[in-house]
Amino acid sequence: MGRKEYQERLNELEQKVRGGEPGATRKQQDEGKLTARERIQRLLDPNTFLEEFMLAQSQATDFGMAQKRQPGDGVVTGYGKIGGRPVCVFAQDRTLLAGAVGSTHAEKISHAIRSARQQGIPLIGLYDSAGARIQEGLDVTKAIGSIFFENSLTSGVVPQISAIMGPCIGVAAYSPALTDLVLMVQGSSHMFITGPAVIKEVVGEEITMEELGGSRIHSEISGVADYTARDDSECLQTIRRLLSFLPSNFEAPPPRVDSGDSPNRLLTGIEETVPDDFRRAYNVLDLIRMIVDGGDFLELKPKFARNVVIGLGRLDGHSVGIIANQPMFLAGSLDADASDKAARFIRFCDAFNLPLITLMDVPGFLPGKQQEQKGIIRHGAKLLYAYAEATVPKITVALRKGYGGAKLAMCTREMGADRFLVWPAVELAVMGGEGAVNVIFKREIEQSEDPEKTRQQKMKEYAEKFSGPFDALSKQVANAALRPDQTRCELIRSLDMLLGKKEERPRKKHSLMPV
Amino acid sequence: MATSVTAPMVGKILKLEKQVGDTVQEDEVVLVMEAMKMEIFVSAPVSGTIKNILVEPGQSVQADDLLAEIE
Repeated sequence: MGRKEYQERLNELEQKVRGGEPGATRKQQDEGKLTARERIQRLLDPNTFLEEFMLAQSQATDFGMAQKRQPGDGVVTGYGKIGGRPVCVFAQDRTLLAGAVGSTHAEKISHAIRSARQQGIPLIGLYDSAGARIQEGLDVTKAIGSIFFENSLTSGVVPQISAIMGPCIGVAAYSPALTDLVLMVQGSSHMFITGPAVIKEVVGEEITMEELGGSRIHSEISGVADYTARDDSECLQTIRRLLSFLPSNFEAPPPRVDSGDSPNRLLTGIEETVPDDFRRAYNVLDLIRMIVDGGDFLELKPKFARNVVIGLGRLDGHSVGIIANQPMFLAGSLDADASDKAARFIRFCDAFNLPLITLMDVPGFLPGKQQEQKGIIRHGAKLLYAYAEATVPKITVALRKGYGGAKLAMCTREMGADRFLVWPAVELAVMGGEGAVNVIFKREIEQSEDPEKTRQQKMKEYAEKFSGPFDALSKQVANAALRPDQTRCELIRSLDMLLGKKEERPRKKHSLMPV
Repeated sequence: MATSVTAPMVGKILKLEKQVGDTVQEDEVVLVMEAMKMEIFVSAPVSGTIKNILVEPGQSVQADDLLAEIE
């Protein structure tokens, strides 16, 4: 055969791979899912996909695998562009060998992760697989181990985003767990380590895949998922949107996106949005949307630990990470899950040069036996640690109150905030008035003729001392007072001064984050 | 099957926003509690009809106590 004949055979083979198996493709469509190639097409800018190892196939021969091998080995990998910037991508192909992970398949994924790291470009993994191809024995676990190693090594070098768009089960579920952000698709995606069949066999419990590891479980209870999409299309669009906030790697600044929103815009309707009365709750999301450019805020983990809000937005075109107490849930107090959620996000922002904007209105750590047993000490420590560790610009706005340790866990000056700004009617104290008075004046109250009257009197004195911004301003706890309606423009002015921040830390092998 | 609405934390019932028989949407406020000197909104975990309310204003509740049921 000459060049021409070989070329024709190549064309035929490639054509066949691109077409997929008609039966399996139809099944995928019946489930409301796109195929791996359709997903890549929707994810990337048009005509930018540069495929790698399209014709790589399994070298396994045991258990009749030699007859079953297929070009591509159930995963599509390569380069492409999103918003004009290069990325690496892999998409498991459920229509080929059920997307099961064989060693060739795993090697292709490892190569994509390594390429992303070496080229300094984001990695996107689209998971949809029946699990490990057990016919290949040890070769498979060995190859999957290499994926974990590459994911871990790449962590913090380039953004790694995983979308679960079908089953992602067994040991393979640890690959997305080692990446920065996990998206799931409602109804069609599942993640678990041991499946319903094994659970039934071992513990006799009957459970469905959805109850075990559906999107609701991971977005509300386990906290594994950062975002839940209605369908494949929304999932892929959200990955593009996420990347628009992120730099290509840890050495690059995030892209600046002009929204046309004026940096001098004053906030209107603050009084209705954030009530002056501390007793009244409000939705802090309304305030965040007022502050950021064009109201564009991408909230992450919206249904997990809802007492703290995290997400990405922009201020005068600069990407920022926002962390805010949410008084709508648990009075905005910090519990173990909220601390864990915020700490992980802060480290993500710090790794990828996203300044941290913190909106504080916190009554304390959530009290109770349940929280102590859940390890609020251990998890709360993560939050303190993450803020102290972060070297990106950090600006905190105290909206209404901040008490005790929870105040420190929302990034005060001592914890490394570059600017700590206070709204006028703020209360910053070691604890709330009633609790403090009961401790400080315990004997005086008990011994007085009218204990309740004395208590009220002392509470009034306490409030006079600690309510309002003056104590914080005079003790340099706060850098400056902030008019609520100027919150957006003052944050932008502050950020403008801080963007060149460089902070060296003591030399060491690595810290011991209290994980 | 009825879905439980439970107390998110220890506190006191302040007021009921819904009555038995009312329809609610997911995330709509069913009742308001007071805890940590603040109003706490307790929302419906699912859309449906209020089948049962087991608490009244002024009552103290523990975390995870059953407050209402939605069907």
